[in-house]
Amino acid sequence: MSKQGKSSTQGREALRRRQQAQAAAERRMKTIVRTAWIAGITVIALIIGITVWSVTNARSSNTAGGAPGALVTPTRATDAGALRFGKDDAKVTVAVYADFMCPYCGQFERANGASLDAAAEAGTIVLDIHPMSFLDAQSGGTEYSTRAANAFVTIAEADPAAALRFNQLLFANQPGEGTSGLSDDQLASFATQAGASGEVIASFAKRTFVPWIDQITQQAFDAGVKGTPTVKLNGQVYSGDIYTPGALMTAIERVAAGA
Amino acid sequence: MPEPTGTGVLHRVRRVRQSNAWIFTTMLISALLSLTASFVLSVDAIVLAADPQAALACNINAVLSCGTVGASWQASLFGFPNAFLGLVAEPVVITIAVASLGGVRFPRWFMFAAQIVYTLGLIFAYWLFFQAFFVIGALCPWCLLVTLSTTLVFTSLTHVNIRDGNLYLPDRASRAARTLIAHDLDVLLVVLWLVGITAMVVIKYLPLML
Repeated sequence: MSKQGKSSTQGREALRRRQQAQAAAERRMKTIVRTAWIAGITVIALIIGITVWSVTNARSSNTAGGAPGALVTPTRATDAGALRFGKDDAKVTVAVYADFMCPYCGQFERANGASLDAAAEAGTIVLDIHPMSFLDAQSGGTEYSTRAANAFVTIAEADPAAALRFNQLLFANQPGEGTSGLSDDQLASFATQAGASGEVIASFAKRTFVPWIDQITQQAFDAGVKGTPTVKLNGQVYSGDIYTPGALMTAIERVAAGA
Repeated sequence: MPEPTGTGVLHRVRRVRQSNAWIFTTMLISALLSLTASFVLSVDAIVLAADPQAALACNINAVLSCGTVGASWQASLFGFPNAFLGLVAEPVVITIAVASLGGVRFPRWFMFAAQIVYTLGLIFAYWLFFQAFFVIGALCPWCLLVTLSTTLVFTSLTHVNIRDGNLYLPDRASRAARTLIAHDLDVLLVVLWLVGITAMVVIKYLPLML
């Protein structure tokens, strides 16, 4: 009996100790869980905070650079909102709607740019380039489309041939959609390479033609342009192949022969 | 598994969260979303294939203006549009979810196999997400919906498989996983993950749209 009593005391003691250990383990678990929750929620709050901060920051820096000036229409501008290159008496007018950020415009220019520029130079076509800026949203807030288009128009005011070379250089070295685009310094160095004067390059920063670029972009939408590149031959949308070198030139010759 | 006790709203929510009804309804809705997105992307892919000229343009009115994601090699990694995989896989998930809601218990090996296949799907979905985010540099809204819904199907499937011990895990791992779920730490992980992904997208793309 006494032996049994002793073992039951021992048993109770062991049970008590086990209960205590279990309670301690539970407390420990509770602490771990609570710590995990607090840490997790803190990190979530932190991420949300950083996100809000970074977005508002990007927004204020965006609006800072973009105070719109007065509308200055380039001297080579057409009523349709293009810059005209070549001689007015050519039989075929080739209108190109493009955005410097548009990857397919790059593909188009690499296939046709040199031939189009040569044809404009030779007087067989009038080349109307609509430098649009609707892909500004694809360059990480740096408005690459607008900056590039403004540089292009600024050069064209002084030296049309240099502007066409600049146009080709930018598409040959086109930045990817969604990247921040070429920097202002890179634009300046391509302008130099195209033969623009230092004075002209220095005036990129004035953003003289930005309001005009905004206007002609909207004008193109209003005229029913649905995407870039859009090519029109004598006002008619050309729906043939524009990515195989030579195909467009053949179509132009056909229009010229028919006209 | 320790059942959350008590009668408060929080406790009731926690209990409901562990129920078949909740888990499989989440799975069902997510799989339906994923199927819808896959369907739209498949139709897009067919339209693009039929009209290569339209495919190679920057559309002025589309959210995804240049379609570079759809036209990338990553978008048809296996030689056909990735979205076709969603059309094949999601109906299976929908079937599992509906049958389970109706009271069917699938064999352990079956649920384990589903877990393996869906894990591969999840890895593929995130590979695509990171490719689009970092390499292609453009996102498409339907692709983001696939990323989100795939994540939710995966977490609900994993939840049920841990709860029912379908994963052939060693005892210790199984116990740890169940403890995690019992304390709703899986919810915390999923929310943390989704907040992180959302932050990446918002930080990179929201300023571009303002």
